[in-house]
Amino acid sequence: MSAALSLKPSYYEALRRLTLEMAGVSLGKDHHFVVETRLSALSRREGFDSLADMVEELFSRGQTRLAVNVVSALLERERRFFDDKNSFAQLTDFVLPRLLTGYGGAPLRFLVFGCGSGQDAYSLAMTIDKLEAQMPDLETEIVAVDYPSWALDRASEGQYTHFEVQRGLPIRDLATYFTRNGEDWIINDDLRRRVGVKEFHLLSNTESLGRFHVILFRNALGHYSAPAQVRLLRNLAPITLPHGYLMLGKDDKLSRMNFGYDAVEGHAGLLKKHDDPKIEIDPYEGRKRPTERTSFKDL
Amino acid sequence: MKTCLVVDDSKMIRRVAGRILKDLDFEASEAENGVEAMAACKSRMPDAILLDWNMPIMDGLSFLKALRKSPGGTSPVVVFCSAERDIDKIMEAMDAGANEYVMKPFDSDIIESKFAEAGIL
Repeated sequence: MSAALSLKPSYYEALRRLTLEMAGVSLGKDHHFVVETRLSALSRREGFDSLADMVEELFSRGQTRLAVNVVSALLERERRFFDDKNSFAQLTDFVLPRLLTGYGGAPLRFLVFGCGSGQDAYSLAMTIDKLEAQMPDLETEIVAVDYPSWALDRASEGQYTHFEVQRGLPIRDLATYFTRNGEDWIINDDLRRRVGVKEFHLLSNTESLGRFHVILFRNALGHYSAPAQVRLLRNLAPITLPHGYLMLGKDDKLSRMNFGYDAVEGHAGLLKKHDDPKIEIDPYEGRKRPTERTSFKDL
Repeated sequence: MKTCLVVDDSKMIRRVAGRILKDLDFEASEAENGVEAMAACKSRMPDAILLDWNMPIMDGLSFLKALRKSPGGTSPVVVFCSAERDIDKIMEAMDAGANEYVMKPFDSDIIESKFAEAGIL
């Protein structure tokens, strides 16, 4: 570890345990620099004089709100608009045409699970907005959820920096859907209203979210521990409508179990929900089940 | 190897952009203004052009309009690269035949993203 880093090794290990217990995500053993960078920024936003002061406060008083903010900051990752063009092509060329065959007028529901600062959700909203130009009767609903965090606040505001709007976003989309706001750019109200951003503990019971035709949970599964992956997929399966889709990242893989989904041949990361989910083996049978948490109040 | 002409009156911008383009496997050449760029294109039409807007002698927009009317001038991918952030101005550049638009300041990730968007990567 670099001499410039200030976090004690014991605190780094405690942060790793906290992140694993609260969010099911295993931080690497050698990610000190990333942890320090992210938490230093958080400590300034939280009004602490230093990162060390914030971590002392966290572990001496065990504040739930601060713990959630710390874990959320550690889970943040860089997001891009239209990240992985192939995945969005999959959506427009394969998934949506199949969902729209025989479309009966009920709203198509989309869930962006682990939305971070919201680029996936707004990319989806732009994609659907263009589709609606051809299908004016189409009704859709987009729900975007993640842990409460500074990133999620930004998703709610729909405000992005000069650099963020130039990563993955075609300039014509910037001109159509954004307005300049000082040095930043803000999503126009029409598009922002299409996305319902909600705080949500990703490992908690998902039933309250309702059921969806498409769930986007891309490029995140691999960050979770094996038990947390099982729990996430077991929670997403019941809220995916029959014949609906779960869109993972192209490198995300299901383990031995299928959770009621079939891989769609020729479309990496795309899974289709069975009509009649197969019976699964309980992965916790005979073993201790992870603590059930349904809200942040329980932490 | 694909070729890219960097047109900017700032020597520093030309050098920085040239280095980024080299990392993206382009053979980069330079021009200081629209007139020099036009001469370079007549001599050898590049695959891509990274084009500043405000330059002495001939600005980027005038160059682009002239390029698109010239023989073979519709083929290069043109990515504007300017400090201009006014949406109406940006759309004026796009309507004149630009394929994408980079707002300065930029970094290598933005150039890569915009060139990919323009279909040249």
